[in-house]
Amino acid sequence: MSQRIRSRIEIIEDPRQDCWLCDAMHAEPLRRLLREESVEVADAIESGLAESSLAIQAKRLPRLREDQQSAVEAFEEGGRRGLIVMPTGTGKTVVALSIVARAQTSTLVVVPVRDLMYQWHAKILEAFGIDAGLIGDGVHRVSPISVTTYDSAAIHMPRIGDRFNLIVFDEVHHLAGPWRSDAARMSVASARLGLTATLPTNTEKLTQLNLLVGKTLYQQSIDEASGKTLADYSIRRIAVHMDESETQAYRGYGKTIQQFVSKCREDNPKFQWDETYKLVADAKSNPQLAMAAGMALKAFRAKRKIEEQTRAKFRVLEDLFRLHAGSPVLVFTGSNVMARQISIRFLVPCLLSHCAKRERQDLLEGFGSGRYPVLVANRVLDEGVDLPMVKVAIVLGGMASTRQAIQRLGRVLRRSPSGEAAQFYEIVTDDSNEVQRSRDRRRNAAYKVSKRRSDS
Amino acid sequence: MIRSEHNIVSYDFVKREVTPDRLMRVRDAVYLEAAQQCIEVYRQGVGRVRQELHHDVEDCLGSIAGCPPRRIAAFCKLLDDASEFAQSARKAAAFRKRVFELSSPLHPVVQHREGIFEHEQQAVRQHLATELKLTWEQIEDRLFDDVIELQKLKQCPDALSPELFLARYNLAQTQAVLYRATRVRVDVFAHAPYVIRQAKLAGLMHRVTRRGQGYRMILDGPASSLRETTRYGVGYAKLLPALLTCSDWLLMAEVLGPQNQTFSMKVSPEDRLSSETTPPTEFDSELEQKVADRWHRDPVADWRWERDREFLVQNQEVFTPDFTLTHVDGTKIYIEVVGYWTPEYLQEKQQRLAWFSTTGNESARWLLMLDRPPNETKNALLQSLRLPTVVISKGNGPEQWIRTALAKEQSGSESL
Repeated sequence: MSQRIRSRIEIIEDPRQDCWLCDAMHAEPLRRLLREESVEVADAIESGLAESSLAIQAKRLPRLREDQQSAVEAFEEGGRRGLIVMPTGTGKTVVALSIVARAQTSTLVVVPVRDLMYQWHAKILEAFGIDAGLIGDGVHRVSPISVTTYDSAAIHMPRIGDRFNLIVFDEVHHLAGPWRSDAARMSVASARLGLTATLPTNTEKLTQLNLLVGKTLYQQSIDEASGKTLADYSIRRIAVHMDESETQAYRGYGKTIQQFVSKCREDNPKFQWDETYKLVADAKSNPQLAMAAGMALKAFRAKRKIEEQTRAKFRVLEDLFRLHAGSPVLVFTGSNVMARQISIRFLVPCLLSHCAKRERQDLLEGFGSGRYPVLVANRVLDEGVDLPMVKVAIVLGGMASTRQAIQRLGRVLRRSPSGEAAQFYEIVTDDSNEVQRSRDRRRNAAYKVSKRRSDS
Repeated sequence: MIRSEHNIVSYDFVKREVTPDRLMRVRDAVYLEAAQQCIEVYRQGVGRVRQELHHDVEDCLGSIAGCPPRRIAAFCKLLDDASEFAQSARKAAAFRKRVFELSSPLHPVVQHREGIFEHEQQAVRQHLATELKLTWEQIEDRLFDDVIELQKLKQCPDALSPELFLARYNLAQTQAVLYRATRVRVDVFAHAPYVIRQAKLAGLMHRVTRRGQGYRMILDGPASSLRETTRYGVGYAKLLPALLTCSDWLLMAEVLGPQNQTFSMKVSPEDRLSSETTPPTEFDSELEQKVADRWHRDPVADWRWERDREFLVQNQEVFTPDFTLTHVDGTKIYIEVVGYWTPEYLQEKQQRLAWFSTTGNESARWLLMLDRPPNETKNALLQSLRLPTVVISKGNGPEQWIRTALAKEQSGSESL
């Protein structure tokens, strides 16, 4: 292997099999470099890629808007290796589908969760009339156009990595960490597309994405997009109060935690609550402290639980269901337990991660068609699941992560055919940490836009 | 096996060593007792839901000073693995569908009715109970009984003793360290081919070198040459129980620890781990047994007879002749016993033999042994190998075998 090639591609001599070895992702550049050096390339990969040219007919692909069109062009002009950044609700999927249609080659779409896998499958079927392969959720059906999840991709890529010329990473920010990165490394795909609403702010992570997929080729911010393409919306925050018995228990747990912390600070003035987890785990060196830390941690969880499952929330929920009876309501919870409690209390279905394919599809389809008035969901609906008819969304609890808030908001904001305004409620427990988390959550562009709107 | 997040280890930052948690019978007698209690919880717990059982296990262990939460979680996982829970995913989903379809027209379900389209909770529950011919309590109980923490115990671990349970725990903790291993080195003395076979079954690659009386194997996976990866960690973990059945061995693992530093873990029979895997059988077939017996009845002086001793390696392919005869002057004869066969089996064996007999040890001789005279197909395949062949019969014995193997310019054998 020439010095020139070795300086450009990470390639090493492997004594185990007496050969040169590099990651599959370098296949195309390596092939090119070798040909430039007039090295005869006997390519075993090409025979593996039986479908390097594939007739894909765009049967029902919506006409691209101007911004979507520029995204497609930017990708193709950028060497067909790179990232497209567009806010949720601006039609990233349509952009990706038209890139697939124009590429006319074997394609693998990688998505974060199983729901999205089925949704992509349905969209490919609608757009091209192709029954795409599925890899994940207990299914292993590889075909020239396939959809898989990040985790399945990481597991199976050593065996399927030579089958696709184009690889699409939906919500590409999930392509992080050594394990999931293998999904990109072990694929020979020469065309690579990464879609996301939010690029990682961490430079190291971004560099990694640039290496595995490509550089940013197109970027649109939420400010540019809102108004033009997003549904109009408003946010209402409702604070509820704990009842007396809850308050009492809540304060009791609070006291346990406080006593523990102040005792720890006696020994170490710089003690932080986060260190408690370490103390619990380190039962070996100080069993007594570990036991106390364990109790404090239990109190902490119990406190959180009261906060999350305050009885008053069920009352507010009841009122909101009354208020919006007749229109589809989506409820997000902070935990599976809460989702099930709401489901049992109001006798409405909940979509949880354990739901199998058939039930999930029934719930989404039934909710979409109005057969189910309400859908309760936890994390499984957090990203990109398309429910344009939802005009009322209620968030209970949840963590103060910017990304999650944007994604959650995005779902309600998808443009509906009628152009109706969407209602967004957030129910938080007052006198508790949840209020603080809600404040944190509102500190980002998406919420700022909405504030401007509701002010005017 | 337990999950990575149940793994308890201690790191020695000076020696760069990692040691997994181990509960020893004498030192940790209190755990033997606790294990007995936990097993009892499960034995008495058929019909109870998983999260309650876990809660009780937590009670059994929570009072032991210095018992970290991970150990409790690992106990729960191992007890779950030894039991069976009712898996009714499809039934539960169908049941939910039925319930929600019945209740949807009644939405919203409220505590006190105000509007005319509302329905009171009690009335709705009653309606469902009537429709489904169940009580509300039964409905509530069944609605989510496929959720992992709400699954009901169906079959408890009957034959599990506390000693066996702790042995499983210790093995599982060591395996969990291997999940984060980037490379493993195994030294074996006997059973080397068995270990390689198991490593290949676990999807690992190997480099084998001779080392004194034994072999040293470096095990890793295809991507390991490019970067440190824990991709093959589960493979190493799967290999360990098989290794434990061997007699003399040493495993050294390079493990990724805090701040991506590499630590080493050493495991050997001294650790007194045990597995429930059945040890490798002495002979693969009756025929091999027969051949070995025959030799031992009339051994030939100056020749040493050994089974599975020699180990021929070509890149990732390994070939172990069934027996090796070594003369005091160093001359070697590899003996391959060809018993039951199908054309495909023989073809494959023929190819491997052809490869290894031409590329391996130049000075070594080969001898094929058959249990009966070959038919035409078999004969054709064997002829193409051009290796000395004998058919085992009462008329020949070890001395003839050696003579046949050493005869010059072979193109088959007189006994054919």
